[in-house]
Amino acid sequence: MASSTFTPTQLGRLWRLYAGMDLLYIARGPGVAFTYYLAELVIGAAAATATFLLAARFDGIGAWSRPQILFLLGYAMLVRMLVTVFFSYNLAHISRRIGRGQLDHLLIQPQPLWAALVTEGFAPVSGSSMLAPAAFLLIWSGQQLDMTPSAAWWALFVVDVLASVVIVQSFEYAWGSVAFWAPRAAEEINSHSWDMLQTLIPFPLDGLSGLALTSLLTIVPAGLIAWYPTRVLLGVAPVSWVEAAALPAAALLFATFAAWTFTRGLRHYGRTGSSRYLEYGHRR
Amino acid sequence: MLRPRLPDNAYLKTASMAAAATTDHPGFLLTYALRLLRVLVLLALWRYVLVDRVNSGPLSLAGVLTYTLIAEVFAEQLNVRTSLNLAFWEGTLVIRFLRPMGLVRQLSAEMVGPWCIDFVLFSLPLLAMAPLLGVDPRPVSPGLGALFVVSLALAILVGLAMELITGAVIVGLDQPVWLIEWIRTAIALLLSGALLPLAYYPWGLGELFAWLPFAAMAWAPLAIYTAAGNPLTLLASQLVWLAVLWPFGVWLWDANREKLVSHGG
Amino acid sequence: MRKTYRQRVRSADLRDVLRNLLHPEIRVVQALHGIDLTVRRGEIVAYAGPNGAGKSTTIKLLSGLLAPDSGSVRSLGLDPVRDRVRYVGRVGVVFGQRTELWWDHPIAATFEWKRVVWNIPQPRYDRMLGLVRELLGLDDIYRTLARELSLGQRMRADLALALLHEPELLLLDEPTLGLDVLARRRILSFIKDLNRERGLSVIVTSHDMAELEQLAGRIVLLHEGQIAFDGVFADLRRLLSKHRVLTLETTSEAPPRLMGAELLRTDAGRHEFTFDAAAVKLSDLLEQASAQTEVLDVETHRAPIDEVVADLYEHWLTRSPGAQTDQ
Repeated sequence: MASSTFTPTQLGRLWRLYAGMDLLYIARGPGVAFTYYLAELVIGAAAATATFLLAARFDGIGAWSRPQILFLLGYAMLVRMLVTVFFSYNLAHISRRIGRGQLDHLLIQPQPLWAALVTEGFAPVSGSSMLAPAAFLLIWSGQQLDMTPSAAWWALFVVDVLASVVIVQSFEYAWGSVAFWAPRAAEEINSHSWDMLQTLIPFPLDGLSGLALTSLLTIVPAGLIAWYPTRVLLGVAPVSWVEAAALPAAALLFATFAAWTFTRGLRHYGRTGSSRYLEYGHRR
Repeated sequence: MLRPRLPDNAYLKTASMAAAATTDHPGFLLTYALRLLRVLVLLALWRYVLVDRVNSGPLSLAGVLTYTLIAEVFAEQLNVRTSLNLAFWEGTLVIRFLRPMGLVRQLSAEMVGPWCIDFVLFSLPLLAMAPLLGVDPRPVSPGLGALFVVSLALAILVGLAMELITGAVIVGLDQPVWLIEWIRTAIALLLSGALLPLAYYPWGLGELFAWLPFAAMAWAPLAIYTAAGNPLTLLASQLVWLAVLWPFGVWLWDANREKLVSHGG
Repeated sequence: MRKTYRQRVRSADLRDVLRNLLHPEIRVVQALHGIDLTVRRGEIVAYAGPNGAGKSTTIKLLSGLLAPDSGSVRSLGLDPVRDRVRYVGRVGVVFGQRTELWWDHPIAATFEWKRVVWNIPQPRYDRMLGLVRELLGLDDIYRTLARELSLGQRMRADLALALLHEPELLLLDEPTLGLDVLARRRILSFIKDLNRERGLSVIVTSHDMAELEQLAGRIVLLHEGQIAFDGVFADLRRLLSKHRVLTLETTSEAPPRLMGAELLRTDAGRHEFTFDAAAVKLSDLLEQASAQTEVLDVETHRAPIDEVVADLYEHWLTRSPGAQTDQ
């Protein structure tokens, strides 16, 4: 029977379990798999296409050349793909789970809530359709830029990608926590926050005014998810080790804030529960 | 004290109930905050991206900024969404047929109710704020402003037709509602010109996409407003799409009525 | 323990939108008020009450989904909220109005999911799986997608799912909602068997009093968040109703007039009366009837428990206005 301590082995078991269920789901029929992959491709591509078209039209944007823009778009796609792979089933859009009263399904499982939140959305099969386009863009643009990445560069790349993923999820959770207090009104708040991020992530932000740029690095951290790390990785402007460390530090801050808001919301939920229950979207 | 009352009318009552449901809790105001932030950032972005490039497009920088602002002011109308997909998802479409109201009309009433709230609480204040943002919110001429109103009405009707057709596709292909919705949202974002004016698409793509029904939903009215396109051509394309999509949508529904009505339920 | 909720009271008038937003009217509902309840191991307790009495709130408190505003909850020696992870590993919960099944997966996949998430040892899992499949008749539907199941099939699958980890306590919130009589019978029989053979403790809420009477020895009746009755069904009947039902089949279509009995219904020579057994003797009534017509058949039984409790609810309704309003 489950104990109250949770080990990495158990996490691995759960990831394996949900990966198997994801494969089962996709493999229900050829039509299902095809529609899923098509949907993800279209959605992922659409998010980046506006920037791509602008870059194509004007041979770059601001100080960014076309290959640099493509690298930025590839990076953004990779981050989006990882979020989709690890946080499907409305675990990225957590406000839906909370607002629809579906959190109880997680609370009656004998595992810490955080473990359920990082494993139940694992969809490596259905969520990975953007891997190929992202990899293509990164590799192709890297070749165009004559990049010869060192081991240190790769380490920074991995850290930055993870940090970007953490920032996306933290942003969603911070906004999604509003649903604890307003389950009906804020049920879809994560749709809006997600759309906002996806609209703004693919743009290079050099030259924005102080207030606009500050907003995009704090309140709506779209700038931190692709633009800032790409700037560092490509050396678009001179960058120091402090700036290189800024993204992981920011991820930690965002995660802390998100954990704080979510915990407060959970405490409120423990007092009030949910008078609402809608089953649609649950485990579908 | 005498308070004005809406006349007793099924559609007005439906619209007012849908509007009241939107304002359940002050939390809904947060979505307006997010939208405001998005438009502020987009305006700043266009200033940065296009400052040295505007001469190569049909719109001046001021025109692009107006385009962006008006696209957000009328965002709900330029991307029509009814509760049809929700009804499919819940399997409750059949309940709509038990009401003595036309399906499209009741869906429209449910859609228009929240629009009124959006308009009063977000769109009008945003318009009023435009000078502070350095944006001229006025149409290029009063005549184009009037044509914009006509074009917007046509855009809404095209959007409704697309809703019907999307619903039929969902049921016909027997796919998850939300999946088809995602695809539609993404395609519409790309092809409608709501985010990026079609005039700035390279390789003649903008001219090509301008002929598609998605462009009739957003690009047409916005281009008329900012004089980025020929208003008569744009209005004509909208009318053509209306003439094509509505009969097609109605035929699809009639042909699959039983399947559509019982979908999910 | 106590539990209150605050509800926003809204006007149906669009003209009140601003007032609803800026100065909402709040209604405070005392869901539970001074509940003091002990359930012994191996008991089946029926937990009943009119709508809004606090039944589901109690189940949520016992499941660890809610914390009480004051007082404490201890179950199986644990605090359901503080010790949630350990606690829910020993408890099974079924909410009648929601399913734990994965919608687009067959039942088998959900059961396998449960095995992993609850970390159920394989031998125990195999044993319980065999048991629930046989006793709940799941073999035919074991590989069916959850979304293709009927309501009764889904309830059986949900009940099986709740039992796979061999819980010590089973919490059932309206488990037979919407089920036909055969499905109900199977589920009730299954629960009683488990209780008898394994000492499984069960707390079950339902609106079907006859069903609860079949299942449970003890009934706790809630009224406005407080325990109005806690005892056995026989005592409840004795307390609430001395009325019995007398059914006469006579040769005449017109019912006989019986002093001390009230006619409930009559149909083609079959007449149903109710009478207070403490005030009127059955023999007197039969004597009266025989004097007026030829009596072909006689039946007498207690009033159905549903009617007894419905009378009680009605009595509460006419007596008490319910929740307070605060602004």
